[in-house]
Amino acid sequence: MKALILAAGKGSNLVPFTNTRPKPMINVGGVFILENTIRLLKDSGINVINIVVGHEAETIERYFEKGADFGVNIHYFYQNNLRGIGDAVSIAEDRFSPGEYFMLVYGDIITSANIFSHTLQSFNMVKEPIASVCLTPSTKMFGNVYLNNEMKITKIIEKPKKGGLGNYVLSGIFILPSGFFSILKKTKLNMEKALGILINDMGLRASIWEEEWIDVVYPWDILIANKILMDSWQRTSISKSASLKGDVRIEGPVHIEDDVEIHSGTIIEGPSFIGAGSFIGNNVLIRKYTAIGKGCTIGYGVELKNCILSGNSKVGRLSFIGDSVIGSNVDIGSGTMTINCNLDKSSVKSRISGKIIDTGLNKLGAFIGDDAVIGSGNTIMAGTVIDAKVRVLHHYTYPK
Amino acid sequence: MCGISGIAGSKNIGVPLLESIKHLEYRGYDSCGVAIMTPYHIEVRKNIGYVDEVNEREKLSEPQGEIGIAHTRWATHGGVTKENTHPHLSCNKDFAVVHNGIISNYMEIKKWLIGEGHKFHSETDTEVIVHLIEKYFPASKDVENAFVMAIKQLEGTYAIAMITTNEKDKIFCAKRESPLVIGLGDGANYIGSDFNAFIDYTKNAVVLDDDEYAVILRDRYFIKNTFSGDIVRKKITQINWDSDMAKKGGYPHYMLKEIYEQPQCVINAMQVDKGLIRKLSEMIMESNRVYLIGAGTTYYVSLFSEYNFSSIAGIFTPAISSDEFKNLGEVDKDSLVIAISQSGETYDTLNALKFAKSRGAKTSAIVNVMGSSIARFADHTIMQGSGPEICVISTKAALSQMIILLMVALEVGVINKKLTIKNKNEIERNISMLPELIQKILNEKSGFIHTIAYKFSHINNWLYLGRGKYYPIALESSLKMKEVAYIHAEGMPAGFLKHGTIALIDEKLYSIIFMPPKSNEELYNLSLGSAEEIKARKGFIIGFHFGEKGGVERLFNEEIILPKAQEVIAPFLELVVAQLFAYFTAVALKRNIDKPRSLAKSVTVA
Repeated sequence: MKALILAAGKGSNLVPFTNTRPKPMINVGGVFILENTIRLLKDSGINVINIVVGHEAETIERYFEKGADFGVNIHYFYQNNLRGIGDAVSIAEDRFSPGEYFMLVYGDIITSANIFSHTLQSFNMVKEPIASVCLTPSTKMFGNVYLNNEMKITKIIEKPKKGGLGNYVLSGIFILPSGFFSILKKTKLNMEKALGILINDMGLRASIWEEEWIDVVYPWDILIANKILMDSWQRTSISKSASLKGDVRIEGPVHIEDDVEIHSGTIIEGPSFIGAGSFIGNNVLIRKYTAIGKGCTIGYGVELKNCILSGNSKVGRLSFIGDSVIGSNVDIGSGTMTINCNLDKSSVKSRISGKIIDTGLNKLGAFIGDDAVIGSGNTIMAGTVIDAKVRVLHHYTYPK
Repeated sequence: MCGISGIAGSKNIGVPLLESIKHLEYRGYDSCGVAIMTPYHIEVRKNIGYVDEVNEREKLSEPQGEIGIAHTRWATHGGVTKENTHPHLSCNKDFAVVHNGIISNYMEIKKWLIGEGHKFHSETDTEVIVHLIEKYFPASKDVENAFVMAIKQLEGTYAIAMITTNEKDKIFCAKRESPLVIGLGDGANYIGSDFNAFIDYTKNAVVLDDDEYAVILRDRYFIKNTFSGDIVRKKITQINWDSDMAKKGGYPHYMLKEIYEQPQCVINAMQVDKGLIRKLSEMIMESNRVYLIGAGTTYYVSLFSEYNFSSIAGIFTPAISSDEFKNLGEVDKDSLVIAISQSGETYDTLNALKFAKSRGAKTSAIVNVMGSSIARFADHTIMQGSGPEICVISTKAALSQMIILLMVALEVGVINKKLTIKNKNEIERNISMLPELIQKILNEKSGFIHTIAYKFSHINNWLYLGRGKYYPIALESSLKMKEVAYIHAEGMPAGFLKHGTIALIDEKLYSIIFMPPKSNEELYNLSLGSAEEIKARKGFIIGFHFGEKGGVERLFNEEIILPKAQEVIAPFLELVVAQLFAYFTAVALKRNIDKPRSLAKSVTVA
């Protein structure tokens, strides 16, 4: 079976990161979201992969090329005007022959186990169109499905009224016949309507997913996805070429890649990840769920907790970064503090695309875009979003 | 539902044939049998019971042969007897047939064949097939021709497999509506009701469609359309999943599957033979004393029904846990003991029935497994028709039993002049809304229940509180939690709380309160009062209720709001919510859901 991954969307709720990169190229647990998807697809026996790209397409193409490094065969399609999911799906029509089934994958999903092989198993049982479904804490923005006792989907409600429903929701993985393309055309490329017709004409069966699942929509979802992925780790791996100089304490599962250098007095609590070529100075405290990308430099006495640093970023000495996501090539000056809670312990609010959103999280730090430079001695307030390439002067409280 | 299988091989196929019906046992397990082509004749071995039991008695895999067919049965019509067990033989014993499905025109065919001199040994619809083939064979001396003529005459649903001494290397099979697949192996070909029949031997399969038949040899096969006779070419399907997953029909666990089957179970329970309900009602009216007995879940079913008999039928029918019946039940010849058991093999319940009978009492039973010990032992038996329940924890079977006993209570109510026919019809109309409302909960509330279950899966002690009929519902719900999630949950009457247990309550004790609908004002207010008592002591409360979001029920820390329902069906809806709550808690805690530690499906020991 071939796969079709949708990776063209703009992900405008994921600023500042999606200003400079496509959503599937966000780092979680030491890998890009798309990289994780492709690896799991390959593990479930799917190695012909079609990707619809659009927003910041070159970043994806440059990284994955034709897929040789990942053991798969990748073909790209370009969605130049972002006209929605139905349009994106229809672009790849020519890749599939009549009667062929293919797996449709939304490019922003993270799960705790291989959801693709699970969905494939369901398909192989019935040889009918399949939609993977799951239960999520918030069902406001996903397709709510109604099931009958044979696990057939009887109806999909895209956006339920206020108050919401407690239904199983579409988890963004489908196995569809190539005949779906002609249904899409009949509905003027409207995905919801096309699925509705599929339900009536051919039937659509649900495959229930009970493991962890998240659709990365907001910046703080990146931290949840990171945790889901890291919680699935079973063991520690430390590269032969990594050097741990002097007293370094490691607890729980950690992944330390090639040529990492860690200096004496550092403590690493797993699950944590340190990418190839990174430098960790003396007496650094790396706490649970920290993912340090490739080529990062962490100065003396820094404390990192539940945070992601994409590649080639620097954190100057005696800083604290907690519950935060830092882009790549970010330079954080020494003595910088991210504040990760409100004084009254209320849930942290964040401004996304001009709108204030209650994150529902009591602990949340900052989101700093690619190539930003933060001067020394800064205090960054809880829930702050700092755009890509921004410069913040020394000794500043951001935002004021 | 039944399971059929067959093997055409080049070595002795006794053992793999036995294995094949073991793998299909989930489709039915009240009787089974095999027909194996020995060098001399077709050897049939069959009997009633689980595959392992029958094998112990009949040595199913002993006959030597390279070709054979097998069957495992789940009786719905016609008793569980050795005669009714498949395979069935023709008069001259040259043809043997197994069948899954229902032949709807078998009576007329049977009448005609009897007229033609055929002798029938069973009450099954299946037996007509084999006699039909035998009837048509002499004219052409062509087995395929006779087989096709026979199946063309059949109406209804079927998956059929047949072997014959006339062509000793072939299995003939045909399909309409009931499932049938062919497995293509190395030196052997297989057939089965599903892939499980042969998944240990081959991953290559061909799926038969309706009105197709196939002839299977050990090294080749062909498929034809039954009516046109044209050869049908089919793609070979690769199977790549584990067989357990297939049986669950895509559900992650049997427990969830069976919870989802409940709307259908209610419909089935409502269609139980009116004559049987009437008969039990008369038996109740003729007795001085009536006891309801059960063990575990079925004891709570009894207790729930005790409330219904009292409030609807105006008679007192004490519920007694089967294991305590000897100590408590005062029985004589004017007594009636109604036993409730899913498996029909529950030792404690059977023992209580034997004790009652020895004292001259009349006995009745509501069971799910036809031909089981209790079904055979009781003077009167109602088959609940819930279909096989695989998960050790009972969900759908318990709900069906409650419905059936409610129907009996209604009937007794009419006889007892507590209800008019009009009242009864009205209540039955309300019950008929239940399937749709359960479906609504499954579809629209699962997410909320899931969220709360995950949030509180770390809580180790729960109080489950209810008043009136909601008290046995609270008990049954707490048992679900204990069984599947291994979490302590204590059910009790909400009014009982203040007489002691309330001393336990602080912010660390979590309670669930099962609220009645507001239409039952007195019970509603009393239940709310109990919630207030807990709240005043800083206890944490989850409310299952039928009110509005943020209404008077705001004293609940968390709530699951159920769809509006009439009082007679409201408790069932709360039970479904509690089943899902226990299920999701167990999923969150990664428990062994379908086979919890220390538990067995039917408890056949004292």
